[in-house]
Amino acid sequence: MSLSTLALWQWIVARLIPPAQAEALIGDLLEERRLRLQAGPHVGVAGWYSRQLASSVSVLLWASMRRGAWLVTVVTAVASLIAALRIMTVLQSALRPMTTSSFANDVIMLLSFAAALAACGSIAASIRLGAARLLALLVFAAVCAEIATSQGAPLWLMGSFLVLGPLATIAGATLSGWLRRVWL
Amino acid sequence: MPRGDFLGSLEQIVMLAVMRLGDDAYGMTVRREIEKRTGREISIGAVYATLERLEAKGYVSSFTGEPTAERGGRAKRHFEIEAAGHQALDASQNAVKNMSEGLSRRWKRA
Repeated sequence: MSLSTLALWQWIVARLIPPAQAEALIGDLLEERRLRLQAGPHVGVAGWYSRQLASSVSVLLWASMRRGAWLVTVVTAVASLIAALRIMTVLQSALRPMTTSSFANDVIMLLSFAAALAACGSIAASIRLGAARLLALLVFAAVCAEIATSQGAPLWLMGSFLVLGPLATIAGATLSGWLRRVWL
Repeated sequence: MPRGDFLGSLEQIVMLAVMRLGDDAYGMTVRREIEKRTGREISIGAVYATLERLEAKGYVSSFTGEPTAERGGRAKRHFEIEAAGHQALDASQNAVKNMSEGLSRRWKRA
């Protein structure tokens, strides 16, 4: 198992459980791995380590689903995405009559998209930080799907959506965290 | 402990391992102790998921130790049994003992 694969498994484990617990779990695995490497041939150690990580991911994923943490994160992210699309539509309807230029309309669409995602990313992060990250991922996937299926849309506009969408979501989430730290 | 809320077999095994290890009870030592005494291979994730469930029930508590170099600078999370945990373990073990009383000859025959 390569170092990058190990790092990927560790990253997945760290996403499934609270940070303090993830640190302890990965630390435990590294400690045991070191002991096994010192004790005998290196051949079985990589297999043992990857089996531990892989089986831990499935167990922890199940435990996280039973706690409801996973479900709350997904529901919050999906609800935030729907809310962002609604806000974007409302903003566009309000701003579009102000101009007849197609370029200005594209810019309005882009700005309302970013504003709606920043607001919803901020709300999602206040419920669950993971939900804001998932929202950014969903936005990225949705824009990729839109690029793949849409025809005739200007490339600069689709590229801007792809970059601005996840960035606005993360910026909203960061702002929410910063405001909470300032107020509390 | 709420009535009827007995510990599962893995919960009992994990709690007994924590009790045996005392001050040295953290994820990997608990996992090793279980493997050594039961011969059952268990993942570190299963140990942590069980300990987390027990902590949520108030049966065990945890505290973070100092980070060490052999753990890649990561800290250990030590566990200890709480009074409610001792009661829960006692109740669960008694329930099994009471239910199996007088049956040993039957399952030896089977």
